[in-house]
Amino acid sequence: MKKIKFILAFLLCVVSINSCSENDLELTNPNQLSPETFFKNDAQVQSSVNAIYANLQTIALYTRHIFFMMDNMAHENSGNPQLEADKRQYLEFSFDSSHGAIGNYWDTCFRGINKANFVIANSEAINAIPESFLSQAKKDKYIGEAKFLRALYYFYLVTRYGDVPLITDIPENGVGFPRSPKEDVYQQIITDLQDAAAVLLAKGAEENGRATSGAANSLLGKVHLFRGEYALALTAFEKVYGNYSLEDNYFDNFMEETEHGPESIFEVEYNDDLGDSAKWNSDVTGAGPNEVTFRGQEYGMFDWFNVYPSDDILDEYETGDPRYKANFYSVGDSYVGGVITAINNDRRAGWRKYQNYYKDEHEDQASGINMKVIRYADVLLMMAECANEVVSQAAAVGYLNQVRARPSVNMPLLSTSLSKTQVFDAIVHERKVELAGEQVRFPDLVRWGMAAEVLGKYGFQAGKNEIFPIPDREISSNENINSADQNPGY
Amino acid sequence: MRNSYFNYLLFGLLLCFGFISAQQTVSGTVSDATGPLPGANVLVKGTSNGTTTDFDGNYTLQSVPNNAVLVISYIGFETQEVAVNGRSSISLNLVEDATSLEDVIVVGYGTQTRAAVTGAISSIDSEEISSLPVATADQALQGRAAGVSVVNSGSPGTSPVVRIRGLGTPNDNTPLYVIDGVISSGLGNLNANDIESIQVLKDASTTAVYGSQGSNGVIVVSTKKGSKSGVTQITLNAYTGVQFTTERYDVLNTAQYIDYARAITDPVPERITNPAYADFLKNDVNYQDAIFRTGILRNYDLALSGGSENSNYRFSAGYLNQEGTIIETEFERFSFRANSNFTAGKLNFGQSMGVSFNVQNPERADGGRSLIEHAIKAAPYLPIYNAENLGGFQGASSAIDGQDAANPVRVQTLGVAINKSVSIQGSLFGEYEIIDGLVFRSQLGLDYNNYKNSIFIPSYNEGMGTNTTAFAQITKNTGLFQSVSFTNSFNYKKTFADVNNFELLVLAEQQEIKNENVNASSQNPISDEVDQLSNTQSGLSSASYKYNRIGYLARLNYNYDYKYLVSASIRRDASSRFGPNNRWGWFPSASLGWNISKEEFMQNTAFSNLKLRGSYGIVGNDKIGDYRYSASLVTEFIYPINDAGVDGTTANGLPNANLKWEETEMTNIGLDMGLFNDQFTMSLEYYRNTSNDLLINRPLSVSLGFNDPVITENVGSVESKGFELNLGYNDYEGDFTWSATLNLGTSTNEVLSLGGVTSIPGGSFESENLSRISEGEPLFYFYGLQTDGIYQTQAEVDAVFTANPGQTIVQPGDIRFKDINGDGQITADDKTKIGNPYPDVTYGFNATANYKSFDLNIFISGVAGNEVYNTNIYDLEGMPRLFNSGVAVLNRWTGPGTSNTVPRALGAVQNVGASDRFIEDGSYTRLRNVTLGYTLPTSIFKESISKFRIYLSGQNLITLTDYSGLDPEVGSSTVINTSNYELGIDRGNYPQPKSFLFGLQVTF
Repeated sequence: MKKIKFILAFLLCVVSINSCSENDLELTNPNQLSPETFFKNDAQVQSSVNAIYANLQTIALYTRHIFFMMDNMAHENSGNPQLEADKRQYLEFSFDSSHGAIGNYWDTCFRGINKANFVIANSEAINAIPESFLSQAKKDKYIGEAKFLRALYYFYLVTRYGDVPLITDIPENGVGFPRSPKEDVYQQIITDLQDAAAVLLAKGAEENGRATSGAANSLLGKVHLFRGEYALALTAFEKVYGNYSLEDNYFDNFMEETEHGPESIFEVEYNDDLGDSAKWNSDVTGAGPNEVTFRGQEYGMFDWFNVYPSDDILDEYETGDPRYKANFYSVGDSYVGGVITAINNDRRAGWRKYQNYYKDEHEDQASGINMKVIRYADVLLMMAECANEVVSQAAAVGYLNQVRARPSVNMPLLSTSLSKTQVFDAIVHERKVELAGEQVRFPDLVRWGMAAEVLGKYGFQAGKNEIFPIPDREISSNENINSADQNPGY
Repeated sequence: MRNSYFNYLLFGLLLCFGFISAQQTVSGTVSDATGPLPGANVLVKGTSNGTTTDFDGNYTLQSVPNNAVLVISYIGFETQEVAVNGRSSISLNLVEDATSLEDVIVVGYGTQTRAAVTGAISSIDSEEISSLPVATADQALQGRAAGVSVVNSGSPGTSPVVRIRGLGTPNDNTPLYVIDGVISSGLGNLNANDIESIQVLKDASTTAVYGSQGSNGVIVVSTKKGSKSGVTQITLNAYTGVQFTTERYDVLNTAQYIDYARAITDPVPERITNPAYADFLKNDVNYQDAIFRTGILRNYDLALSGGSENSNYRFSAGYLNQEGTIIETEFERFSFRANSNFTAGKLNFGQSMGVSFNVQNPERADGGRSLIEHAIKAAPYLPIYNAENLGGFQGASSAIDGQDAANPVRVQTLGVAINKSVSIQGSLFGEYEIIDGLVFRSQLGLDYNNYKNSIFIPSYNEGMGTNTTAFAQITKNTGLFQSVSFTNSFNYKKTFADVNNFELLVLAEQQEIKNENVNASSQNPISDEVDQLSNTQSGLSSASYKYNRIGYLARLNYNYDYKYLVSASIRRDASSRFGPNNRWGWFPSASLGWNISKEEFMQNTAFSNLKLRGSYGIVGNDKIGDYRYSASLVTEFIYPINDAGVDGTTANGLPNANLKWEETEMTNIGLDMGLFNDQFTMSLEYYRNTSNDLLINRPLSVSLGFNDPVITENVGSVESKGFELNLGYNDYEGDFTWSATLNLGTSTNEVLSLGGVTSIPGGSFESENLSRISEGEPLFYFYGLQTDGIYQTQAEVDAVFTANPGQTIVQPGDIRFKDINGDGQITADDKTKIGNPYPDVTYGFNATANYKSFDLNIFISGVAGNEVYNTNIYDLEGMPRLFNSGVAVLNRWTGPGTSNTVPRALGAVQNVGASDRFIEDGSYTRLRNVTLGYTLPTSIFKESISKFRIYLSGQNLITLTDYSGLDPEVGSSTVINTSNYELGIDRGNYPQPKSFLFGLQVTF
């Protein structure tokens, strides 16, 4: 009996030697931040907001694909033989649901939305930070930036895919969301932009690159315009009107040295000095140093020259419109390398907008020129469109003539006595020449109902090609979206 | 000399202790049934006064008290005790240990007599381990144990890929290593000559005691201890020799290359057409010969061992230097080990400690391509060296050579790459026998490794800017791994009524693992003189990981007179790698055995052993990486704000707080048989392992938008099963004795479930996925198109591309792939299973023969039924663009009827996509080792030397295989380091050398 007690005592002893360390099983990862301890100061909140912007800078969007998609589908571009098949498919409307870049566009937008949701869903934690660490105005502003960007990504999605999953929180499990009606998505976009417009800072008070109240109102106006809500659109635009002005020199909109000028409302930021070692790493994540865009390399006539300005866009310019020479290089024009004596493949012109050829002979896959998402000329032309519908033709022409009267453009002003149709046609023309190669024309053609008429000869099918197919990757990974939910025609 | 000196010392000690009584010298002869027995131990009981018999079986012991008892022992014989009773001459016969009852083997947390074993264990002894010149001890496992697959690499100092009983998980399949009772990270730092035995534990009854870590099998290593004979022994082992590779790919020479380039390129590269380069075309360099060489292999081991009944010790030091067969690859190791044991009454203390210093010059890769790939592709007219170029090397220039292969000699020899490490592996234990049969044991274990890997590459330009770097590149990575374990146990062993043998073990164990690393790199654009880091274009990172584990184990072994055997164990484990919901797990096992040969009715039959045994249990695998259950944030986004880069942070992904261990259900049935006093032995095993709850990364719905697009879940299931066979024969009688063993293991695995995930990609090459995992197929099977000859005419092309008539991508001369889904075109949907990288059968055959003083050993190992994806064929016969190629391209398709195997040059992209064109049978049989030894008669050395053996040996001299590559044994790749995914993919891997060695073994 004594022995047994002795043994039991010993056993207990052994077990206790080893069990006192059970707390050691609770380990936290020292290499990464933990969500539980995050959102404690200004720098952390700002960092979570910064991350949302990074998805604009992806290969799927402004670094490589969005300009091909939009400019090719609008046939502002024609393709040279070296144009890769996936980008040629935009010209021919022959893409399907397996198209890589169409899948990546979807993917990166939803990644941006997830990052925005991470900030918005943590509003409570952010608002709990003591005022002395972070003022309420700044808290509101940060959440406003997240809402602006969430709206922007949803706008990119809803205009390109129609009904999409509407996710406004951080998902707690791996179950996929079904497609929500387009209308619901638009309502969320409008709410987010209204919220954002109320709390964002004005341009000048805010750092270059961040969303401003002007950007939120401009995008809000654009969203209303896309929905045919002209009065609402005008109301939003009026809040921008007069707070910005046109660049005297049209080409200043497209140079690195003149970024964030008086006309700039929202741009996607690039800066070659910040590194490009991650530029090929991912089409969708936006991670790492990828602070350059391929726009110059891809379009550039002294570089890959995959596309060139189409006859359709070149022929649109009125004789003597200085914007022709600002947007395109022709034989005889000068660039930093001298006078252009010939263009490969005997093309009429090569793109000049967004090219670095005014200072570099080659693009070196490293353009630091920011891409404009919305600029004031666009807003003025959209206001003209609204005014033409709900105010007066004279008011519309007034806005339009501001664009034509830009000092460096100085084109003959239009008469204020034009008919509604004539004004509309003038707006269509002005948008085409003013905003050539700025990813604006294809969505314009679609919302005006003109896409089939203009693009039908290239393969555009009405009722199908207004929007992209839902990517295969989404259908195979989301139990709540199946092939029966695919967009019509795909 | 030494013996007598030591004896004098002992004599002096004995004097001091006043143990002197009437003493005398005793001598005699020890023999067995066949004659004198050299090397038998003779010890005065209770003292350290002892000796061993010489070559003629004679011994002489001085200072033997008249009333002493002599203990005479020899491995494999029954130990005898003889009272001296004043005699001066005692000779006796030792009797062979007929029953292997006393044959004790090391198992998890203890030892077991062979007769009581109910599990599946393969044992490898020290002779088998040290018979091959291996740099890392795990290499010596190849072909030695049924069901253990070892895939070696030729790269000096690189550990092989070891798999026990096939693959059970798409994740880490590495077995658990236990050295002297301490869970360790591997055998890479262990001197093979310090190993006494290796046991491979394969079934649940033997591995479930390791709970959450045992499911990949366990390799238990015991290092050599001093003997209790009282004899001090010094042994010297030394060998030296040459290593070389004779295999080469047959590539085009300069004349052939020029003809080939002229035929397939337009315009023809300027180097060929422009007379200014005529001098180049006079060169004819074989770049494979330029990177291969004959290496020298040297190894020296010195060990001192000795002891008495109360204490024993062994100290050893080793030096190994292996020059690889590829230039500037080398491995060097200094190793030291000290093991000792002390007994004082009921207390028993022991320690083992090994320290090693390793220096490796690895094979270097350039652009993710192996040296062999560069050597195949390099233009043979380019000289290796060109003093006019920065760095002194010549390589291809895209502009004038029409290709851009790097110079492999530059890749390997410019600058220096060096991996240094220090490792310490040791244990300290104490045992106390509380009451008769009840032992308390406490053990502290340490496994420590500190590494420093550095690369310095000065700026270079191989000519005209194609392969060029304008700055020196400096990389220094350093880190440490540290594992401390603490184990406490009670073991109670008791026999009741002579026949009821009980053993009960209760144990608690904890382990703390720490891993830290710092990685730094920088560039130096202004100088190649300084190989140190600076802050120019520098990259920095560091990380640290912790991993803690607690486990409790209870095990009961019972047998009735070694006839009916029962064993059961249960382990409860907790690990910091799992969330609170699933932190703890149970791992039970049970086994039964029936020693039929011990039954009455089996007496007086030919069967010396006949045993049936079976086991079942559940074992875990927690090799899933640290911190995976918890949520984390990533700060890796950069965006320009005010033209300065600002950092962005977001949530990484969807954590799974329910993550838990992978679990394997193991069933094993075994039959052991011994005939004619175990002259003939056989054992047969059948096993079936079903792994459940495998960790699978399930892709999340894209629209959820997480940074990490997958969630890790315990959903997969894999079954692997097979047979194992061991056959042994030995003839120990007469002048000529011989023995032979054959072992063979089969293994097939099938993925039963991936939890809804369609497939998981495996390895890839040139952006093509080569292998994958999917339900109903073996793990990492090769996946691609099936070839069906070559299109000879347009009509043949049109007959296949019915859904896409008029396409111009595939033309006559391109490979005809099978339209598996019959949709009238060849797409990714036509891909199918084209091979299995895991062999159906692995085997080893070992034969040893002795004739008087000569000994001969032959060792063969091999695998059968596996496929290898030979990416070298892409370079040799792919012809995607101009590079040097294999001679097969001379017979390429150039018009209808010209070839049905080698397509046209620069043909359709599909020609070089993943297909069975690159799949080859990877079966081989290899003469792993042949050794001829001669033991010199000790009479010529007088007393000082008790054994002197010299030998000649050759390794890998003959390999029978249909594989066309340099080495059918496709080990870990130097280029890509994801070993599971790389299974059976030959990327120009470092081939194993052939070698000739001369060695000697001396015992003083």
